[in-house]
Amino acid sequence: MTTIEAHQFAQCITCHAWSPDQTMVAFCPNSTEVHIYRFLVDKWERVHVLQKHDQIVSGIDWSVRSNKIVTVSHDRNSYVWNQEGSEWVPTLVILRLNRAALCVQWSPKENKFAVGSGAKTVCICYYEQENNWWVSKLIRKRHSSSVTSVAWHPNNILLATTSTDGKCRIFSTLIKGVDSRDSATSLASDAKFGEQIVQLDLCSSWAFGVKWSPSGNTLAYVGHNSTIYFIEDVGPAPSAQTVAFRDLPLRDVMFVSERMVVGVGFDCNPMIFAADESGLWSYVKYVNERRAAASSSKYGSQFSEAFGFGKLYGQSKYGVSTDTVEPSKPRGGVHHNCINCIIPLKKAEDGLVKKFSTSGLDGKVAIWDIESDADFSLKRN
Amino acid sequence: MANTSRSYLTCIRNTLEAAMCLQNFPCQEVERHNKPEVELKTSPELLLNPVLICRNEAEKCLIEISINSLRISIKVKQADELENILTKKFLRFLSMRAEAFQVLRRKPVQGYDISFLVTNYHCEDMQKHKLIDFIVQFMEARSLYA
Repeated sequence: MTTIEAHQFAQCITCHAWSPDQTMVAFCPNSTEVHIYRFLVDKWERVHVLQKHDQIVSGIDWSVRSNKIVTVSHDRNSYVWNQEGSEWVPTLVILRLNRAALCVQWSPKENKFAVGSGAKTVCICYYEQENNWWVSKLIRKRHSSSVTSVAWHPNNILLATTSTDGKCRIFSTLIKGVDSRDSATSLASDAKFGEQIVQLDLCSSWAFGVKWSPSGNTLAYVGHNSTIYFIEDVGPAPSAQTVAFRDLPLRDVMFVSERMVVGVGFDCNPMIFAADESGLWSYVKYVNERRAAASSSKYGSQFSEAFGFGKLYGQSKYGVSTDTVEPSKPRGGVHHNCINCIIPLKKAEDGLVKKFSTSGLDGKVAIWDIESDADFSLKRN
Repeated sequence: MANTSRSYLTCIRNTLEAAMCLQNFPCQEVERHNKPEVELKTSPELLLNPVLICRNEAEKCLIEISINSLRISIKVKQADELENILTKKFLRFLSMRAEAFQVLRRKPVQGYDISFLVTNYHCEDMQKHKLIDFIVQFMEARSLYA
């Protein structure tokens, strides 16, 4: 796996999104603004600054077909930005929230978007032509804590959410006049708006980063107890798999293909998970590590421990103890702080992800290329 | 002296390493507020189980964790009355200058001598491993004087 590019845009980035043609990137530099950069000739240049929120922007999503940006913020508001000439014009969204908005995502058809909030509700927003604003319908009293992440099923009706109460839930978001009933699959054909279809109670800690696989057959989300959950055949008879891993917890995941997932989080290094022929998910490796390197590093640490003891004896002879506990090492390679956002980039005709980008608290946006990695091409089919 | 405390400090360091996974998280109870949940304790689901690391009865360290903040409280060894007074004076001196240390809490948690409060904002501007080094080195230095 090679990184094509990592660029330091700001001190800290909360979230980012790409324009439909992927020449521009929008991100929030941990402030009330959203900056849009474009790659010009040989460097990134700031082309727009979106100022309207008055608290930190917690979510950005840029729609592919309609070229609209939706932003949500801790100030309880959301705006849909439309490009008119060289200006981005905001339209207020009537969210009817009384707590911070935490996450946002456009539906696949881009006629709706979902906002997760600290008010323990999810807002499904849609456009009202006559009033020229976005109105919302709320899914209330279903979550017992903040909604940390939302994900749309490819059928434009089902919505998966994760919450800090540790549960992952799936709702129907069928809105009359916006959705046609025939677009719904058998799973949600008779469900009304806001009806809970599945509740997954697998995690004992906070849940984050829910995503659907490209076909919508598999669902993945992560728990703060360093585990990742895969749910196959979501519906009347779902089967769940729990994969616990050794390192610090993840924050977000992304499906590369039906059987491969990349997770990012507090370990500052993306991790790969894959399913084998029998459908069994397991941890594969860190994105930029050779698999053989794992055993050699283990020997390395044993060596340094033995060396540490030697030092200890040596010092006691002189009676001065300057011996300290070994300082902890910085984590990660490309990123040096928690990665909290992962976005698929270039998609091939077959729907497979070829590139993805990550951003984190270290203020970098890194673009990763999957195609050049041999391990990926072996595993992905 | 410092050598025997090695495993105690290593244990604290490893616990901090795992515990310091904080994120920006707005208050669920109060509109437009963002407060360290470990101090407010209004939503029990946002708190994790506290970890208590004891070397002996007189020396212990309590690590309380929430979604956006982390509180580390330390009790240092005081063998006699004189050490007791010295510790009190020294830690009071430090606590009065808490702003200079950024992560130092102005008042220690009840039953402890000194407390640190680390929030997600500290993790955003400072490197995590340096933050942990600071706290562990502080404890190391303490054990040299005591």
